[in-house]
Amino acid sequence: MITLYDYDLSVNCYKQRLLMSLLDVDYESVPVDFFPGWEHKSEAFRKINPLGHIPVLVDGDYVLRDAHAILVYLAAKYDPSGRWYPTDDPELLGEVAQWMLFAEGTTNTASAARLHDNLGYEFDVDTLRAGAHRLFRVLDEHLWFREQEAGPDGPAWVAAAPHPTVADLAIFPDVMLSEEGGISRLDYPALRRWTDRVRRLDRFVLMPGIHPVSAERPGPGPMAAGRS
Amino acid sequence: MSPPPESAWYPVARSDDAAFRHVHQAKLLGRELAVWRADDGFVNVWENRCLHRGVRLSVGMNEGMELKCLYHGWRYANRTGGCTYIPAHPADSPARTICNATFPALERYGLVWTCLDGDIDFAPVDLLEGGGSFPLRALPFAAPPELVRRHLPAGDDHAGEDGTPRWFVQPVDADACVVYGVLTDTPAPDRRIAVLRRHARRLEDLRAEVEEIAATLPRPAPLVAAMEQADVPVDIGGPARTVGGTDQRVVVARKWETAAEVVAFELAPIDEPLPTVQPGAHIDVRLPNGSTRQYSLTNPAGDQARYVIAVKREPDSRGGSIHLHDEVHEGDELVISAPRNNFGLRRDAVETTLIAGGIGITPLLSMAETLAADGLPFVLHCFVRSADHLCFSERLDGLGDAVVRHIGLDPAGTAAQIRRALGAHRVARHVYICGPGPMLDAARRVAGEIGWPDEAVHFEYFANPNEIDRSNGFEISLARSGLTLEVPAGQSILEVLRANGVGLISSCEQGACGTCIVDVIDGDPIHHDVFLNATERAAGDRIVTCVSRSASGRLVLDL
Repeated sequence: MITLYDYDLSVNCYKQRLLMSLLDVDYESVPVDFFPGWEHKSEAFRKINPLGHIPVLVDGDYVLRDAHAILVYLAAKYDPSGRWYPTDDPELLGEVAQWMLFAEGTTNTASAARLHDNLGYEFDVDTLRAGAHRLFRVLDEHLWFREQEAGPDGPAWVAAAPHPTVADLAIFPDVMLSEEGGISRLDYPALRRWTDRVRRLDRFVLMPGIHPVSAERPGPGPMAAGRS
Repeated sequence: MSPPPESAWYPVARSDDAAFRHVHQAKLLGRELAVWRADDGFVNVWENRCLHRGVRLSVGMNEGMELKCLYHGWRYANRTGGCTYIPAHPADSPARTICNATFPALERYGLVWTCLDGDIDFAPVDLLEGGGSFPLRALPFAAPPELVRRHLPAGDDHAGEDGTPRWFVQPVDADACVVYGVLTDTPAPDRRIAVLRRHARRLEDLRAEVEEIAATLPRPAPLVAAMEQADVPVDIGGPARTVGGTDQRVVVARKWETAAEVVAFELAPIDEPLPTVQPGAHIDVRLPNGSTRQYSLTNPAGDQARYVIAVKREPDSRGGSIHLHDEVHEGDELVISAPRNNFGLRRDAVETTLIAGGIGITPLLSMAETLAADGLPFVLHCFVRSADHLCFSERLDGLGDAVVRHIGLDPAGTAAQIRRALGAHRVARHVYICGPGPMLDAARRVAGEIGWPDEAVHFEYFANPNEIDRSNGFEISLARSGLTLEVPAGQSILEVLRANGVGLISSCEQGACGTCIVDVIDGDPIHHDVFLNATERAAGDRIVTCVSRSASGRLVLDL
């Protein structure tokens, strides 16, 4: 059984919950009292992760920290389709790695601004917000051209593939919760449409602050009972 | 520098920003907008604010023909922005005054345009009319609109083999704008992306230049959009009498025989767009011969570009149906009232059963299509004399196996099928029945026999078959206006109220539709209507004023 050291409001923990749901992988969530208990900074938790942060994933004897590394591990190990982390396509894999590093940037700006606003972290929030806007501009343009290239029928994802990869999941919650850090998405229409697409994936799960979108097609109307 | 005027047309999105089942967030002159395309292709430009609790509608859900606010699930209709459903009041029809602020929208040159204030015609751009138009990537600038406008390339600066862009500026705020470029020529498919990239690169270079200048200027004060106070009544599901609504002219755009003895009319607006439709609603149709008749709208929620009604030929009736069948033709004008809804559809049922007898299909078709669009479980049972009597068979086919057709059954067979269709009542199951009086009576009786509670059985009669005994006289006391009036034998409460200047909206005036219903504070009503169910009658706290009377000498009304 996989164990995830987890906190409901953490974007980095949510990335793991989301991927494990999309891959239909069972896991046990062990809540860490991140706020206000600072349990991740406790001596006991530092035995699990000396850096004192979450998430940490334990799979049997294997222990892994750092959100984006865990995404790579889970996809490589538990995705039989090989799509989420495409190890047999070097060019695509390089692109995925590139955007995973980009996601470090969105986490350290947009999601850090959220920690400032929500939990009172003492960060230079103006610099964080400006940094997030710089990254969002780049991503919005990238996704806009990806949409143009994919055409009306092909959904556009962060990496140049007709399916999402772990790069989408690494960036998604940082973007989706940016307004909690005072970062408006008004200027980024392609980014907003991409968040709709992520939220329409099968087995998508929510977290506080991330809301559902409407189905692209209406659900079944006729009820099972009562037909004659 | 004064801000750009509100009374002008500006682009607020590319057409493809209003993507399928998406809500686009935009801002114009300091005012946030929610831009969304309904499944019928109509682009809505609304104030980005749910008038209930002010939450942005751009984080809401585009449900196809309605926009659902994320916060409390209030639903708003395509085109009008009128509220169609309030989940906290599932049994009530939202008052017509609950309507979001909407702005006119049109699509030209691959862009969505709107105008915030004033009745101004869109001025076509000569260069782009007639020929092709190819919109480039829209680029937001963190710089004042006027500054950006001054720096936009004039003439042929950005010209190339793919043509000269025409530039449009969306003034977002005092210090922000979006620049849209449109080419007159559409490039060949294999050059499309290269052309888009080339122009995007050039515009980004320009942006870097202008934003650098803007950073050296004092930051202008943000524009403040004037917001009107939302008009949400305290009694949100209030009775129909609390809303006004005026008549409007419509034209018969299409008239066709939809079933044996039944003609359907498609009514198109002439001056003003048609008001919001709620499933189950009906309109009054004022006929050229001076009479007024009520017809249910078959339109599902949000589908209200045109109203569709159906009229059965009733040779024995008062003549309204004959007139519509024989005297009203395509191209003729009619006058109709705003829709009223006394047959509201709950959208919180675990299962919904719809039972239609003949022409009684009309309100139930609007309910069925609404439920289908919402993905909610339902079955529509249609009882007809023969297959030829099935109205709107194409639309019924569109509902697939949610429709069960019962053809040519006698009263006993009908009752047996209704019994089967209903089954034992379970929590959160609701049934809606509309059809001829005897069939409706039978369905209500069956539902009662097998344990369906009154609050789960919803019905609407076409007409009131009861003989109305008007032989007694009594006094009515109006608690709010302090009037006491005498209702003599032979006159209705409604007539006495009207004669004394108390305006009350009514519709069928025969005790069927429930429009003129009033709360009773004290006294003992005698109910002659077919609108209230047995539980409501026994409660004695409401009265249908066009037919019902008082057993007590005095009736105190909440008027």
